[in-house]
Amino acid sequence: MKPYLKSLLFLAVAGAFALPWLSPPVYFVSLLFVVFMYVVLAESWVLIGGFAGYLSFGHGAFLGIGAYTTALLMNHFHLSPLYVLVSALPAGAAAACVAAVIGYPALRLRGPYFALITLCFAFVMELAVKNLDFLGGPEGLWLKAMGIEVGLARGIFFEVMLVLMLVTVLVVRRVESSRFGAGLKAIKEDEEVAQTLCVDTPRVKLSAFILSAFFPGVAGGLYAYYLSYIHPETVFNIDISILIVLMALFGGGSSYVGPIVGAISLSLVNELLSAFLKAEYARVIYGLLFVVLILYLPDGVISFFRGRKSGAG
Amino acid sequence: MLKGIGLTKSFGGLRAVSSLDFEIRAGEIVGLIGPNGSGKTTLFNLISGFYRPDAGRLFFKGKEITGKPPYVIARLGIGRTFQIVRPLPDFTLIENVRIAVLYGRSGTRDMREATERAEEILQVSGLAEKRHRYPLNLALEDRKRLEIARALAIDPDLLLLDEVFAGLNEKEIEKAVTFTFEIKRRFNLTIFMVEHVMKAIMGTCDRIIVLHHGAKIAEGLPEEVARHPDVVSAYLGKGYVARL
Ligand SMILES: Nc1ncnc2c1ncn2[C@@H]1O[C@H](COP(=O)(O)OP(=O)(O)OP(=O)(O)O)[C@@H](O)[C@H]1O
Ligand SMILES: [Mg+2]
Repeated sequence: MKPYLKSLLFLAVAGAFALPWLSPPVYFVSLLFVVFMYVVLAESWVLIGGFAGYLSFGHGAFLGIGAYTTALLMNHFHLSPLYVLVSALPAGAAAACVAAVIGYPALRLRGPYFALITLCFAFVMELAVKNLDFLGGPEGLWLKAMGIEVGLARGIFFEVMLVLMLVTVLVVRRVESSRFGAGLKAIKEDEEVAQTLCVDTPRVKLSAFILSAFFPGVAGGLYAYYLSYIHPETVFNIDISILIVLMALFGGGSSYVGPIVGAISLSLVNELLSAFLKAEYARVIYGLLFVVLILYLPDGVISFFRGRKSGAG
Repeated sequence: MLKGIGLTKSFGGLRAVSSLDFEIRAGEIVGLIGPNGSGKTTLFNLISGFYRPDAGRLFFKGKEITGKPPYVIARLGIGRTFQIVRPLPDFTLIENVRIAVLYGRSGTRDMREATERAEEILQVSGLAEKRHRYPLNLALEDRKRLEIARALAIDPDLLLLDEVFAGLNEKEIEKAVTFTFEIKRRFNLTIFMVEHVMKAIMGTCDRIIVLHHGAKIAEGLPEEVARHPDVVSAYLGKGYVARL
């Protein structure tokens, strides 16, 4: 990375950390919080969807699982505000466990079948939560108040989400240049050939899927605290899953940089659209964006800055 | 080293491999020949775990490998090439080879070490200068070399070569034969190879197995097999034999 870019990045991160304490508009902090969350979601999605080429259309479900796990933990055990932060980790663990159970059979399917089964999984999760009374059913769940001042709580969660985002990005970046990452990319290129080259594809894929569910789970835990009221529609909505895929692919799914670019730009677009247009129109625009993307930019917008690989030797 | 008993594989009504018994002994170079569609590639797909046999069993180094998935078989030490080359297209040559080093049997899990090892293997395979290029930009001959290099990178004991010399001219074949002996010695290999080019087969193999309609019709030293009447008729038709 070029030195000036590095310092710019450092400044941006430092600025983000300082932000909540400079009494900024609440709206702005909330917006950034959600942007960070989407970076976590799209970034972790890339592990399985971008590197291994298994397009998961149900990744939003892990956010919901994390959110509900946290809500249950919080309401059934009386936790101190500090412990609250730690308890986002069980949320990640719960999402990872579900990913292991779902991934084991689902990852035997390829291409559109895998996409479909993950989409179904997300649908079923949403339906199930809506119909289970102990999860609040269609009413949703209130989380017990934490007993600290709202502004302070918001600041703390902002910081924690920022840290989670940085950790996720660094982990995915690390994976990208590792043996594990090479295995995932080989699976995307040609899974059968990968197997003849000793790549234990079922295990590699499942590990990636589990890891890619962990971060959204933690994010869901934080999100639940942050909202203090969760509802199937807010954390299990299928739109979230689709938005994740869109963001990752819009930025470019073959590198850790893509989802950052995609999540930030599409979150902002989303914000603008919903500010000026009705939700239905926003959806149409998203749909069109998806089509354009698949047709003209299969490697995402970051491919503009890099030049395409194949072709020129 | 490798032993097949009663191997059978059908596609619909077609018996591509039919009750085949064979054995490859450690250190040998064994040729597998037969007319087009006689089941040679299918046999390789059975050995490497791509297909599960309908009947019969396979043993490698005394262990049963029937029905095991390809990565387990590869990890036990069987490397293979594809007759229709299958490079990983978005991987450079060195990345293509390195992935096999990283996951293969050499135990190299470190990226830098694996890169060095991959470079060595590309060197031996004559692809060192092209290591940063993408396979789709290469001539077929080089892509076939890449197939071999990648199979070598898993550090196999047994190498299955499926028509890697096809389409080469006289001089290139001579080079290829030398190359085969060279890798056999360097990597301490046993080789099982499918080849149509008679000259390459005769010059390299200790023993030849002949398939016809999925069944073994002859086996023996290259000269014996070449004169065997069933082989001649399989290749040239019955009339030719009658005139001999
Ligand atoms: N996956 C498949 N599905 C259906 N039929 C197949 C399949 N693979 C091979 N066959 C058929 O099985 C027979 C044996 O094919 P195979 O590829 O093993 O022949 P081969 O000896 O390798 O021929 P060649 O010299 O042309 O490479 C052929 O008739 C072929 O059409
Ligand atoms: Mg063949």
